[in-house]
Amino acid sequence: MDRMIMERVAKAAHFALNEEEIERYCKDFDELFNRLNMIDGAPEGEGHGVNPLEVGDVLRDDVPGIFFDPYELLKDMKTYENYVRGPRVL
Amino acid sequence: MKDILASLPGLNDKYSMFSCIAEDADLGDSKFLFSAEDGLTSKDMMTRCGSKMLDGHRPVFDAAAIEKMRAAGGKLIGKCNMDEFGFGSFGTNSAYGIPKNPFDLERSCGGSAGGSACAAAAIDGHVSLGASTGGSICCPASFCGVYGLVPTYGRVSRYGLVDCGNSLDKVGLISSDPELLARFLPVISGKDPREPTSCAQPELELKGERIGSVGVPEEQLEGVSKDVLSCFESSLDVLRGMGVEVKMIKMPSLKYALSTCFIISAAESSTNLASFVGMRYGQQEGDLSMRFDDYFTYFRTKYIGEEARQRILYGTYIRMAGLRERYYVKALRVRLHIIESYKKAFAEHDAILTPTMPFVSPKFEEIAKMTSDESYGIDRLACPPDVAGMPHISVPCGYDGSGMPIGMQLVTDHWKEDPLITFAKDWGKAFDVRRPEVSL
Repeated sequence: MDRMIMERVAKAAHFALNEEEIERYCKDFDELFNRLNMIDGAPEGEGHGVNPLEVGDVLRDDVPGIFFDPYELLKDMKTYENYVRGPRVL
Repeated sequence: MKDILASLPGLNDKYSMFSCIAEDADLGDSKFLFSAEDGLTSKDMMTRCGSKMLDGHRPVFDAAAIEKMRAAGGKLIGKCNMDEFGFGSFGTNSAYGIPKNPFDLERSCGGSAGGSACAAAAIDGHVSLGASTGGSICCPASFCGVYGLVPTYGRVSRYGLVDCGNSLDKVGLISSDPELLARFLPVISGKDPREPTSCAQPELELKGERIGSVGVPEEQLEGVSKDVLSCFESSLDVLRGMGVEVKMIKMPSLKYALSTCFIISAAESSTNLASFVGMRYGQQEGDLSMRFDDYFTYFRTKYIGEEARQRILYGTYIRMAGLRERYYVKALRVRLHIIESYKKAFAEHDAILTPTMPFVSPKFEEIAKMTSDESYGIDRLACPPDVAGMPHISVPCGYDGSGMPIGMQLVTDHWKEDPLITFAKDWGKAFDVRRPEVSL
């Protein structure tokens, strides 16, 4: 595993890795993917699906409603004027 | 029930099965007690999934399975310790204590639902809810000498389950009493419009269908310890005595199940867990003047543990442009092949039978010395039916020279939980299941 790729992966996953961790994970990735690569030659089944079973479409009536009290939902969050507060985007 | 409630703090001091115990000791109109893995949301107790990231998180709703158990008269007595976000096979990756095996306190309860299996083994007549992605119910059930039932994918609503691998996750039951599995599976099953994968299921019918024949895949017996193999072979004799036809078969596709499971669960969990960034749930003490990327990185680096971090990194890599097709999409296709292999086997046999785990529960000092090869392969027997979304059960089938429990795992076709439940009840009468000596 190239360390540049490891840094990109860590950045995408939002983890700050130190030098020792990058080195260790590069080695671990190599070992792990050597094992996982065994599926390269594995036979494939017919069809395509994300779930192991057929999942039908479930349509609900479009009825407005409140599932939870919004104030209950917000009580453990950082808020400002009942909006969830988050970090700077820009 | 009052005695059990009163004993919980002492039990937990000794075994660390709970991350959280009910504060309210009032039984009210409760008809039974139950516990639940901490990956299921509960409105009166924290839900932390074994992670520091979710410390302080109190959901405003119950998971569907907990909601249904309460509606049936159950009192939730505790949230069970688990490997962080379900990543682990020994229960050692929790921020809130490591469950200790009731048969030997120096040994693991297994994982990820180690706390649930521990509670089921240590508390008489207890049932615990667990979740399984790749062996997470059957592994601890085997290590703790109890019954662990994983229903078909979609049989029990996942509403309120903190997703790990969403196409693999299932909610199931663990108990020392197979009658309780029969009693509570119908309670937690059923269609739930809040969770579409539950809506395709046929009605659950428990009418006492029996397993008449089992196929034992020869390849799955390779690398199994002598003690486990010996107990397993004795169990085959007991089965024959019960009138069950036992035949050795070949299922070469099962060798791909572990890699398939790993790839799918890593890829899916890396997206599912991306919402834990220090906003809305759990830890939120960060500096909001930080740029969002830095803020998210600060929280995830500080509060997500080593094993979960590694799995998320693997999953993020697998989903990168150019690799998604090679790993995730390929794994989905291999899964279809594994399902086809099971279906082919079920054309000739009612169930597939293997040992649940290749060895008995290891000591914590042995776990610490395990190589990555050894720890990677531990779930190779337990995970194939999870990959295929098929119902399966681990039942105790013997004990090694130190008295540690050994389990065997039966798998049936999609939606056929009935024969598994019937088998567990019959097996409970034919086999002398030992209970650990639990003293405070």
